[in-house]
Amino acid sequence: MSANEQSSGMGTVEYIQHHLTNLCAGDCDPITHKGVGFWAWHLDTLFFSIALGTLIIVVSWRLGKNLSTDTPSGFQNFVESIVEFVGGQVKDTFPGHNPLIAPLALTIFIWVWLMNFMDLIPVDLLPVIAGFVGIHYLKAVPTTDLSTTFAMSLTVFVLIVYYNIKIKGVTGYLKMFLFHPFGKFFIPVNIVMALIEELAKPLSLGLRLFGNLFAGELVFLLIALIGGTMATGLAALFWLPLQVVLDLGWLIFHLLIITLQAFIFMVLTIVYLGMAHVDEH
Amino acid sequence: MGHFDMGKPNYSGLALIGVGTILTSTIVAGFLLGYGVDKWLDSLPVFMLLFGALGAVGGFLKVHKLLSRGI
Repeated sequence: MSANEQSSGMGTVEYIQHHLTNLCAGDCDPITHKGVGFWAWHLDTLFFSIALGTLIIVVSWRLGKNLSTDTPSGFQNFVESIVEFVGGQVKDTFPGHNPLIAPLALTIFIWVWLMNFMDLIPVDLLPVIAGFVGIHYLKAVPTTDLSTTFAMSLTVFVLIVYYNIKIKGVTGYLKMFLFHPFGKFFIPVNIVMALIEELAKPLSLGLRLFGNLFAGELVFLLIALIGGTMATGLAALFWLPLQVVLDLGWLIFHLLIITLQAFIFMVLTIVYLGMAHVDEH
Repeated sequence: MGHFDMGKPNYSGLALIGVGTILTSTIVAGFLLGYGVDKWLDSLPVFMLLFGALGAVGGFLKVHKLLSRGI
């Protein structure tokens, strides 16, 4: 379908830029459509992330109503296996007891996985459908938007700080910043380094997820461009099958990546919150 | 290190998942923090460079600590 874009006069660079531009409302640049202020709303990101979150709630609610202990359905078995898998991870890695952690981990795993899964939908499909109803920019994968990944990682960060203060007390938490890693004679340096270490947690969580998914999306776009730019005349007999094979290969590999990234986000959330629950020193 | 005494076997292994990005993220965090302080004190780029360097050192220390004896 990228060929259609080509025929409408869009070059390769414009094609990629177009597909990587969010549907922005509010504080947006009228030419580049990028957010320029704090109150820039990425409507596509908001729509897809809320829609997928709603999907999780509706499916869970329906499944919860039809639970069966005698003859569980295939879907119930599937969901139970996911719940047990996440529960097992929490049990193995989380010290102590906190009823919030397992549901939080499960929500993160499924929600991030579903948002990542949007990457596997053909890159032109949703933007073209949106184009028919007058929406000119649409980025369907919420996790290729820094706003989503940082919203999630900062929420986890707030929980980390909350539990640190709740478990260790304000003085206990502040003490963590004073004496590590260089002992009591370098307190100013220790404070800065501990602050950096704390800040690095949400940064690495958010940037890792964003980077992996953004790069994955970009590779899909480049593969789509093979057919769009080179498949003219007889050359199409070579380039189109190549595009199909490459697309399939990257799709299968990417299926692994999206699962791994959802898993990593979940596990690191459990580990970081676990660290907040343990007096290290 | 208390959690190891509590017999939590997988803790350090799973934390190692994040090692690859710790180094970069501590450097970025250092630069960001330094940039914030510089904006506040109007001293760009003194603290940005200083905290960036501290972030790199902190990243190395953290990775070394993680790889040698867990969290």
